[in-house]
Order: sequence, then structure tokens, then C-alpha cells
Amino acid sequence: MKTTLIIQCSLSAATGLLLAGCATYPDQATTRQMAEKMVFEAFDASPAHMKRLEQDRSQQICSKVGDAKLSQEEAAEVVKLARASIQYPASGQLSGDWKAGDRLAHDGAGDRIRNGKTENRKENGALCQNCHALAPGEINVGNVGTPLTGYGKQRGNSEAIVKYTYEKIYNAWVYFPCSNMPRLGATGHLTPEQVTHMVAYLLDPQSPINK
Amino acid sequence: MKKLRGITMGLVSALCLAMATSAMAQGNDLSVGRKMLMEDNPGELWIDQGKALFLQKRGPKNASLEQCDFGMGPGKLEGAAVRLPRYFADTNRVEDLESRLLTCMTQLQGFDRAQLIKQAISAPASRGSDIEALALYVTSRSNGMKVNVSLGHQKEYDMYKAGEYLFYRRSGQTDFGCVQCHGEPDKRIRLQDLVHMTSKAGAQEVAATWPAYRGAHYVVRTMQWRLNDCVWQMRLPDLKYATDYSIALTTYLNRQGNDAVMQVPGFKR
Repeated sequence: MKTTLIIQCSLSAATGLLLAGCATYPDQATTRQMAEKMVFEAFDASPAHMKRLEQDRSQQICSKVGDAKLSQEEAAEVVKLARASIQYPASGQLSGDWKAGDRLAHDGAGDRIRNGKTENRKENGALCQNCHALAPGEINVGNVGTPLTGYGKQRGNSEAIVKYTYEKIYNAWVYFPCSNMPRLGATGHLTPEQVTHMVAYLLDPQSPINK
Repeated sequence: MKKLRGITMGLVSALCLAMATSAMAQGNDLSVGRKMLMEDNPGELWIDQGKALFLQKRGPKNASLEQCDFGMGPGKLEGAAVRLPRYFADTNRVEDLESRLLTCMTQLQGFDRAQLIKQAISAPASRGSDIEALALYVTSRSNGMKVNVSLGHQKEYDMYKAGEYLFYRRSGQTDFGCVQCHGEPDKRIRLQDLVHMTSKAGAQEVAATWPAYRGAHYVVRTMQWRLNDCVWQMRLPDLKYATDYSIALTTYLNRQGNDAVMQVPGFKR
């Protein structure tokens, strides 16, 4: 079952060191097989919750180990899948209510599982505050993502910007394949309706983020 | 003891308040308050509790843990924790500290494994669990020594490579793997600093500071708890205690953190 690519002890043996045992590198496919088995044995969950552990094609591509780089073909596939994932709200209106967006931007909860139970909430938070600087002067904000302060002020709110912003939030991998940004709409964390509120929060001149 | 802990909690709360106030005054530099807290770490109280539990004859077999082999021979604790996780011939698997404690508490003392696991992670502001205290005591006996995780056995190597793979594995509705939050320097989730685990110094911080006193919970927490809480935020289901998944991640991180000087209990916000 185990294919050996590199023998770890060969170098040591060559330099004259004595080793009691020699461990060998498992190849990538073997490591993957072992680790994937560990994932599905490690969680105590209903079949519906276990589904969260399954990777879709894009997640598989975007889980490069260490310094391994995304190939051009892989990046193109991720972009294509992302493009195909985007759904627009039934209303066709891509910009919603900035006040609802403001509230959601500062909400980091929703859909977490404890003791087999999913958080009991009306809707998921949009998680923005965890990683992005938001309105000017807000201190309790993360810096994993780029600052969004003044986002609309810098870009205006043309139809093209509204569409870009909607798509970027719905599935960031259309524009930045495999970036750290969750595909909030595509994975179902946010509804298309909620994404429109986030768009308004970012672009509306009245929104605190543009003050 | 109880009273002492009550006083400590009061102190910690007061310090937290002072920390928050000073943070407002000085922008968001929380490091001063954090350093103040570390100098008088309430987690120290759990070391004695762990030692007493270790030496006490307990369980259906009325035995102490003095015959437990953490890899250096029965009862030999000095330098044991800095070499974990490692392969154990008697169970034929790689075990981290907490799974090794489970092995000894079931085999030597006769405790029920399922029951131990059920109680392993304590409620916040509680007395803490037996395993939390024991894990801290055993690790504290390696304080001042260098982390030295060897990958000499094939199963250790496999575990390390699996851990590395899992660190980068993205899944769930947040598309998160570990690396999304822990792959770059000087990052924060809101105001919480994130350890840069793909750097040597960051991995060393992980390897050398668990178990740790968690200020917000008023108890000592272990690495198993830390991973459990991470996957909760990632929107994954409940992580079972002491599975290969967490042992693999711990093997990967601790190995990356080799040569760190063990200093427990750590102090976390």
C-alpha cells in the first residue's frame, strides 16, 4: 500500500550515522489518503453535518500544502467554477439596505456546531469585522483581510462596481482564486439577499464605512 | 484553595478591565496588560492539583499513575512532554500527551475511556478536569527543556505529514483551513492576535505554551481544547477528543516548534 519516494535515512547512512530505524516519506497520494481518513473519523456528527467536511473541487485545488503554487490551469478551473456558482437575488437588485449590512458586518456568529446542535439564529452573520477594518475609528476589527474603510468613497457606486462587489462577496474566487476570503454566497453562508445588504453597506454614501 | 482561586479570579477580572482601559488609551496595544498577567499566572495552581492526582491511588484498580510510561520509562516525567507526540509500542500508535493520559488512566487505573473523554474538557470557571490538571503537571516537569519531537518511527513520520496536509486542508462554508488564519505574521481576528504558525517562532510558541491558563475561562486549557475551539469557529462539527486528526496536527506543529524552551502553563487571553 505504501509507495516510498525518498528514504529519509539514506543521507544519514551516507554520512556514517547509525540509526535504529529509518522512516520513509509517504508519497503525496498516501499522505492524502491517510489524512482524509483521519478527517472522517475525527468528528462526531449527523450525516448532514459530516457533509461539511467534504471538500468540493475548488477547495481541493485551493488546499495546496506549504509553498506549493497554484498552476495556471488550476487557477482557471477555480475561476470557472466560481463564475458558475454565482446566483443573483430574485429581485435583480444587487444593492440592498446598508443598515442591515452594517449589522451583519459586525456579526461573527451563525451555523457553528456545539454538541451536535447548530446555533439557533434567524440568519448567519457576515463575519466581516473578524478580518477587515470597517468604519473609520472602529478599534475591534481584524486585519487578516484588506481594510474596507472608505471602500465606496474610493470606487463610487456605478453599476459595474455594484456588480463587481456583489460577485466578490458572493464568491471571491471569481477574481482571486483560492484567496483566504470565504466564498460567502457560494458556500451558502449568506443568502443572495444578505449579500445585497453587504454591497449597500460597502457602497452607499450614507454608510458609516464611507464617512 | 477555593478561596485562593476566588481571589485570583477577582484579580484577573480587575486586570482584564485595567487591560481594556489601557488598550483604549494606547490605541490597541494589548501587550502590556498581557505581560502583566503572565507574571502571575493563575494556572500555576493547577500544577499541584495535577501532581496530587498523579500520585493518588485512584480508579477501579486503585492505582496511581506512577507506572505510566510517557516515553522515557515508567514514571519518568522529566523531558517526557517535550518529546510528544511520539510512537508507543504498547498501543502501536502515535499518542499525544492527552491520549497517553487516557491510555494510562484506562489501563493502569481502570477508568472508563468514554467517561474520561466526556469530562476531559471542563466547563469555564470550574475546578477544571482531572486530565487538564494532569496534562499541565506532566508538561511542567519538562519546563526549561527544549521541545524535541523526533520522527524516527514510520508512524511518527506519517502522522507529521498528515498533520501538515490537514493544516492546509480547506473545507466547510468558511473555506477555512488552519493556514487561512495562521499563515501570515502580525494578523488579528478582531483584537485577538493570531499565532503565525508557518514561522519557526510561531510554531515554537505553540509547542512551548500548552497547557495554558485561559483568562476568559478561568481554567487551564489543553491543546485538544484549542483545536476543538478552532474547528468550532471554522463551522466544522464536534471534534472528538484525542483522535488521529488532532494528534497529527499537534505532531506537525510541535515538530515545527522543535528547540522551543517549554514553559507552562502558558497564558492565553
